[in-house]
Amino acid sequence: MIDRIVRSIENIPAFPATIQKVTELLSRDDYAVSEVAGVIKYDQSITANILRMSNSAYFGVRYKIRTIQDAVTYLGRQNLIRAVQTAGISRFFAGTPKGYVSRAAELWKHSVAVALMSQILSRKIFNREDAILYTASLLHDVGKVILGEYVQESFRIIEEMVTKEGHSFLEAEEKVIGINHADLGGKIAVHWNFPPEIKNPIAFHHNPNRLDKADQTSSWLVYLADQACLMMGIGGGTDGLAYRGLGEAGKMFNLKTRDIEGAMILLTEDLERARDLTDIIQS
Amino acid sequence: MSDIVIGIADLRVSKNVNDALVTYALGSCVGVAVYDPVVKVGGLLHYMLPESAIDRNKAQGNPEMFADTAVPLLFTSCYALGAQKRRMVVKVAGGANLIDDVHCFRIGQKNLTALRRIFWRNRVMIDAADTGRSCNRTMRLNLDTGAVFVRIAGGTMEELK
Repeated sequence: MIDRIVRSIENIPAFPATIQKVTELLSRDDYAVSEVAGVIKYDQSITANILRMSNSAYFGVRYKIRTIQDAVTYLGRQNLIRAVQTAGISRFFAGTPKGYVSRAAELWKHSVAVALMSQILSRKIFNREDAILYTASLLHDVGKVILGEYVQESFRIIEEMVTKEGHSFLEAEEKVIGINHADLGGKIAVHWNFPPEIKNPIAFHHNPNRLDKADQTSSWLVYLADQACLMMGIGGGTDGLAYRGLGEAGKMFNLKTRDIEGAMILLTEDLERARDLTDIIQS
Repeated sequence: MSDIVIGIADLRVSKNVNDALVTYALGSCVGVAVYDPVVKVGGLLHYMLPESAIDRNKAQGNPEMFADTAVPLLFTSCYALGAQKRRMVVKVAGGANLIDDVHCFRIGQKNLTALRRIFWRNRVMIDAADTGRSCNRTMRLNLDTGAVFVRIAGGTMEELK
């Protein structure tokens, strides 16, 4: 079974080149609006999604955005990167099979929520936004897109291991299917040639403590953002909260329960404003 | 029967026997269903956090978010439709936690403790509950009978009694 799963990674479409190109262009200090817009327009689905999202209250733009040119001009660098990533990455979540969730839209909503939460935490702890962290967060559960089918087949066994034998959902996936969704996500990240800064938080979002100390930070942030969204039941799936809580999570950034509660309140507000992002996938 | 969906940090009450109040994806959040069988008035609350002290401003605009501001609002909203406290049947679901969550984020447990404290102080008994563990729950209250159903994600609807 595991061979079949790993082989199916090869069938995952390439990661949209547009995202990479735009991110690269925007990393320069003197990017040309027309050049960035030109790259985006080349990708029809990203273009359509960006136009749908750009007037979202989450981005807080005061002008009415009607064209990609407007979006590049008015969104600002951080928002534009986020919009392009969200618009492009959503295609991989459009066909999420059952197993974890009953509708593809639920896993997508969870992914966007974790991405928004990662920025809330990054602002709180480091006082900055973090585009790489945003990408990793949006993709942290991408392994579920493949594994869902197998989880559905073996759901009763997995469920029994979790409820009767005290295994976490991750451990049960590993025992029953042979691989867990985080490791599988890591392999998808390799298939897309992602750097370790994106691959690691995907592969270790349930156990950042297994990474070398120096590489743990963004994995902990994705871990915390994910846990908070699981607690809030956002896009809540059959796996529920059946993952191990790690004692060092709070200490890592000196976070108290009230900090997490405060972040959860902020997330409810962000999600309200970011409805155009979560609504990209509706079924 | 028409379903009225209650989102996170929200509550609805009704005296229409054709209504069903439903809330999805209770993780650490808690759902509280109350029902007066004599006048057939009921309400369903989905709160997220235990104490409004963490954000007074938020509690002003969205009292449904916190146990200590939401629970009184649930009861008074039912009284306004003719329900009486001594007849109210109270059922609770949710308050899940991560597995061996030894660190400081036991929000599910804190949510339930806060609820018990409020009920204790106001002499309210919980008639049935399905709480804790590590699962997501859907909760449903039918206004015609007051029956409450809970479904654990991946499972089937079971009556909570």
